[in-house]
Amino acid sequence: MISNILNYINGTVTIKVSGTMPEKFINLCMLEKISLLRITKKNDDFIVCLGLSDFFHLRPLVRKSQIRIQVINYGGFPFLTKKIKHRKMLVVGGIVSLILLNILMSYIWFVDIVGVNSISVSQIKAVVYEQGLKPGVLKDAVSTKRMEERILREIPEIAWVSVNVTGTRAVVEVVEKTMPKELDKAPAHIIATKDGIITDIIALAGQSAVKKGDTVKKGDILIKGVAYDGKATVTNSPPQMIRANGIVKARVWYEGYSETELVKIVHERTGKQEIAVTLKVLQNEILLKKVAISPEREFEVEVFNKKLSWWRNSDIAVESIISTFYEVNTKTITLSIEAAREESKAKALATVQSLIPETAQVLSRTIEVLQIPETNLVRVKVNVETAEDIGQFMNIP
Amino acid sequence: MRKNTQWQRLAGMLEIPQDIVLDLPRITMLGNQQLLVENHKGIIEYTPSLVRIKLNQGELLVIGKNLMLGNLQIEQILVEGTVGEIKYDI
Repeated sequence: MISNILNYINGTVTIKVSGTMPEKFINLCMLEKISLLRITKKNDDFIVCLGLSDFFHLRPLVRKSQIRIQVINYGGFPFLTKKIKHRKMLVVGGIVSLILLNILMSYIWFVDIVGVNSISVSQIKAVVYEQGLKPGVLKDAVSTKRMEERILREIPEIAWVSVNVTGTRAVVEVVEKTMPKELDKAPAHIIATKDGIITDIIALAGQSAVKKGDTVKKGDILIKGVAYDGKATVTNSPPQMIRANGIVKARVWYEGYSETELVKIVHERTGKQEIAVTLKVLQNEILLKKVAISPEREFEVEVFNKKLSWWRNSDIAVESIISTFYEVNTKTITLSIEAAREESKAKALATVQSLIPETAQVLSRTIEVLQIPETNLVRVKVNVETAEDIGQFMNIP
Repeated sequence: MRKNTQWQRLAGMLEIPQDIVLDLPRITMLGNQQLLVENHKGIIEYTPSLVRIKLNQGELLVIGKNLMLGNLQIEQILVEGTVGEIKYDI
């Protein structure tokens, strides 16, 4: 291994030795302390591999042993340097590109801002840019620690910030403070969000406009945002408007409906697919890849248009249209009446469930199968009764 | 020859390696793939199927297939290839 590397550094020459007694030549070489690296025989000639420095001492030996030698190959570092001497610009180019790479690497080319939710990125970017961290700036000129302090001071909504320079990219990582929600103190009524029958009404602020057992419609005022004073009816001064507050519980009804066919036709993809490619150049369509469509097989087709990016020359309208043909099997599924009923029940419940808020309390649920003389359809109606808070603030203009 | 046996006895007594005392070749084989001959006196013949190495007394015949000589120096010869037979010819 090491001797191989040494041979490479010193250079090796492969020569062809031809003559009557090549063995004699080899013995002479050994006597002269020329070490031969490898000897093989080809036809009647010896192929001898030896070091470059030894090669120059061969001449007297060759004369003495009356043979002829011929260089057939050479390799190693000395020959490489010789080659390079003829191609100086190659080396220069390599060095220049290395230097260029090194110079370009010492600049920041990208500034990323990570972890922003409510603060705008541009606001942070403005501060960061102002501090001198922008694309095209020298890496050494940026002090990340000072930058972090500065950002924290400039934008008080930020709890923690870290500026990291990795390669040519500067990453500004931000963690925002969670600010307490601002309470709306504008005067407001509480109105109904849904139709229903009031079961409970507790006015914490303002005056209740409805009472227990009343039927309300969506949009009706439930609690008025008017300050209560005992003699409000007597004074003529306009009532003081306040923000109403309270709990209004009501019974609300939801209705869901669904139907299921007993006999269904289903298209099912078999997994086999074929792709047709069409190239469109200036309104001419060139079919690059065709799909053989036989009438006994059914297909679903998905068409995908691929245009050039916007920055390309859009005048030359080249466009490729890729259509994927999925083979489908058509199946008829026949459901029993019970199964169809279950399915439509589930569907109807799902539609109702999406309407009911999570805080609502379900009081009762009735499921009704509609008896309509139709052979192919099972219709199901679901009624759900809930108790829930239907109050919602509405600011008084 | 008599002198040699005396030397040999002396070497045996003093536990000196005999190859140094008697100027014998040291032959090391690595499986049938490599054969290293130290203390030789040159090669007589080389073909891919036969290598004849001259020793102090007589010669060593290495018979095999695809034989190759590697690392030839004044003290050693390395024969590489598939060695089939080694014969001492005095």
